[in-house]
Order: sequence, then structure tokens, then C-alpha cells
Amino acid sequence: MTRAQRTILYWLLLSPLLVLILLPYVVMLSTALKPASEVFTFPPQWLPQNIDFSNFTVIWNKIDFARALMNSLYVSVGATVLTLALAIPAAYAMVRSNLPGKGPLRLFLLLTQMISPVVLIIGIFRMMAAQGLVNDHLSLIMAYSGFSVAFAVWMLQSYFETIPREIEEAAHIDGANWFAVLWRIFLPLAMPAIGVTAIFTFIAAWTDFILAFTLLRTPEKLTATMKLFYLVSGTYHVDGVDPVSPDSRRLGFRH
Amino acid sequence: MSRSRLLLPLAMLVPSLALTLWIIGYPMVDLARMSVHHVNRFGQVGTFIGYLNFSQVLDDPLFWASFWRTVIWTVCVTGGTILVSIPVALILSQDFAGRSLARLIVLLPWAVSATITGIVWRWTLNGQFGMLNALLIKFRLVDQPVEFLATGEVAFPVAILIGILAALPLTVVIFLGAFSSQPSEIFDAAHIDGAGPLSTFRYMTLPLIRPFINIAIVLNVIYAFNSFGIIWILTQGGPANSTDILVTYVYKVAFQYGQMAEASAMSLMMLAFLLVFCVLYARFAIREQAW
Repeated sequence: MTRAQRTILYWLLLSPLLVLILLPYVVMLSTALKPASEVFTFPPQWLPQNIDFSNFTVIWNKIDFARALMNSLYVSVGATVLTLALAIPAAYAMVRSNLPGKGPLRLFLLLTQMISPVVLIIGIFRMMAAQGLVNDHLSLIMAYSGFSVAFAVWMLQSYFETIPREIEEAAHIDGANWFAVLWRIFLPLAMPAIGVTAIFTFIAAWTDFILAFTLLRTPEKLTATMKLFYLVSGTYHVDGVDPVSPDSRRLGFRH
Repeated sequence: MSRSRLLLPLAMLVPSLALTLWIIGYPMVDLARMSVHHVNRFGQVGTFIGYLNFSQVLDDPLFWASFWRTVIWTVCVTGGTILVSIPVALILSQDFAGRSLARLIVLLPWAVSATITGIVWRWTLNGQFGMLNALLIKFRLVDQPVEFLATGEVAFPVAILIGILAALPLTVVIFLGAFSSQPSEIFDAAHIDGAGPLSTFRYMTLPLIRPFINIAIVLNVIYAFNSFGIIWILTQGGPANSTDILVTYVYKVAFQYGQMAEASAMSLMMLAFLLVFCVLYARFAIREQAW
């Protein structure tokens, strides 16, 4: 089989899947460029009759989507920074010290990273309510970090182990104290792992559903994902933005 | 000297442990406490009632319906994901024109998250204004718009398909890694010995990627079991609890019906199940030393 034949065969084999993956994005684009009168017609049309960019200004001005994006950015960056600030020293200590009990600690980290917030959500909500942190972005930052830090330590320490101790020892002999060694020798060498860990933590926070859904209450606090969810689920419309979630899950909690 | 050698590393470790224990440990203890007490609608913990909450959960027909639906959901999503992703990864690891583009498209749902995938599909599947219906009507496959999410019999299989779609990227990445780590010499040798593509796959590729299949199964079971977002976004477990899996049902019991104690008991049972799978995962991960 030549390369050209292979190319055609493989693209044909992949095409059903690729169509299924791309379909929603084509729908998004088509809907985004239609005026509202064309979106709610039956039967729906694929190509807009009039291209209309006003949806973008509406989402920006009336829905305040810019603020939702800023909220998402704030909690995700906050969670990433907090996670790294806690995980880098911990991973360093795991690799460079001979602390007793490192083996069990490693196992503990591995197990906690597999526990998802979903099964603990009732306890987490009660805890945040007790601390008065519901509808506060701080609660999200703490929760995201709490669930990411074990994974981050695990990931960082497996990379830290590959950095040779001798480089640090050489700097030590040249008169650098332990902080200078850490700051000027070790961390620059560890940058690739820190970058990857940061990306994973950021994406986990950015794409979260259940924690933001449970802990945020008022429209101006919502993250971008939540904003989109409430728009599509029809909880509120563009005109006359209601407070989120009409159901009684918001009731029944005394701080 | 030796004391400061221990103190400094300890001081570096403790903050991260403290946060983990606070965020994961405290809710766990709280759940355990509520599960054996009477808890009123306002979340106040009352008298000790032992295992009564658990037996109440086990008597709840909706719990069992959600339980069996969770089993079907987890088996179908995990099985479907692995069955689709092995051939996809196999194709994506071959050399052909536009391979990078194909890889990019397959990984797209991971980059935009399962949540957004669910949101966009919900709009696509809308019975009145959804574009999928427009497509089906245009090609005369149906003459009435299909209400994909209005009945459990249709909505649940549709949700499974979308769950597979959302789980696919990460699993494909696992198998891409598996295929790229295979030594090409033994395949050349098999080729010379006259092995066809099918027997090569059956007797060489499959045994070689066995450990990766194990890891992919465990990861996908955990992912599928916990996929609250996709179900909640598509149907909120409705209509009339007909698409509820355990995680969405527990959420309703706790936050909509206000039965915190029963919900805590259910959460603990799910946690126990997850821990068993985590231990399995840890065993695979440590045995493979893939890190």
C-alpha cells in the first residue's frame, strides 16, 4: 500500500469519528452567527441567511461574559499558584531528604489524587458553609488546590528525581547556601516539570463543573463554564438575568 | 544539626498535607458522622441512629435503579471508549498525510473539557431548534423532529455516546504512548516469519499493550463512575429520575430532597467502591513504574 492509498484509507476510517467530534463546533459557529429570529425557527437552517455578529456584543455587554471569563481566570490562576507554592517544596523535600515514612506518604498521595470531588461534595459544601465561604471564589481556589496538590507533588517529584544531586553539591562547595541552591540552581532545572504541572492544574480548575455549580450562587460570581451552562439550560435568558438556580438545593442550610 | 535536617523537610511537606487533609479528610469525617446520625433539613446533626440510614438507602427503589444504571453506564462508557480508542490510536500511530491534524481533532474534546462538550451537545440535540434534527430531516431519515433528551429510553444511550466521546481523547493518548513504546524489530521479525496483520495484532500488539489496557480500564471506570457533569448538563438525571446515575441521584437526595443523612450514607458507599478501584490502580501503576 502506498502512502497516498494509506492516507485516503485512514482518513475514511477516521471520518465518522471526526464528524461526530466536530459537529457540535459547526453548530456553535452556525448558531453564533445567526440573528435570534433565525435561531428559533423550525425547521432549523444550517446556513444563516443574514450573518449577524451582534450575538458577540450581546454576550459581552448584557450577559457580562467578560466578567465570567475573568472569574474563571482568577480561580484557575489562583488555584495553580497555590498548588505550585505548596507542591514544589513538598516534592523537593520528598526527593532530597531522608525523612522516614516517605513510602507510605507516596502511596497516600497516589490514593488521594484518585478521589474526585463528586463523592465528597456534600461534605465540602457543608464545610465551606460553616466557614462562610459559599459564593466566595476563595472556596473554589482552596478546593481545586486541595484536589490537585497530591497529583502535583506526585508529578513534580518523579521529575525532580531525574535532576542530578551533584550539580547542587557543586554549587554548595562554591559557597551557595541552601536557599540559593534551590532558587538559582534547582528550580531553573525543574522548570519543564513545573510548567506541565501548572498546565494540568489550570485545566482541571478551568473545566470544573460540580464544585463551581455547588459553591457559587450569584450571577456576578459565576465562572465562564457555569455561565454557559445556565444560558443553555435556560435558567435565565439574555433579557432580565435572574439569580441562578431556582431549585430548593439552595435552601436548607444554616451557617 | 540532625534535628534541623528533619525539621526543614517536614516544614516543606506539612502545608501541602494539611490542605489535602482539610479539603478531603474533613468532608469525609463529616459524611461518616452524618451517615450514622439523624440529620434534619437544615443540616443539623441529631441523635445517633446507627445503620438506619444505610438500611433506608438499601430499601430505596430509586437507589437501586440508579445503581444498576451506574453499572450499565460505567461498563458501556469504559468498554466503548477502549474499543474505539485502540483502533483510533493504531491508525494515528501510522504514517500518513495530515496525521497531526487528525490527532489534533481527536484530542479536541479534552482541550475544551467534558463540560463544554456536554453543553454544546445539549444544544445540538434540542428537539425543536437542534441542528441534528435539521440534518436528519434534510436527509429524510426522519420526518418528525426527534426529542433526544425527552425520554429516558433515548436520552440514556445518547448520554452514553457523549460520555464515550468525552473520554476518548485521554484514552487515545494512553494507547498512542503504548504503541510508540513498542520495539519495531520484533514486528519486522514477525513480518519476515510470515505473520499477517491480524495475527500480528492478536498475538503481538495486544499482549504488549495489555498493561496499558489495564490502566485505561481503571482510569475510565473512575472517570465514568464520577461523571456528574455530562448527565447533569444533558438531562439533570430526568425525566423522572430515568437517567440518574448514583452521583446525580445522591446530589438530588442531598440538595433537592434535603435528606442529608441518607445522601451521606450513599456517598460513603460510593467512596468505598472508588477506594477499591484506586488500590487496583495503585497496584498497576507501581507494577508498571510508568512514571
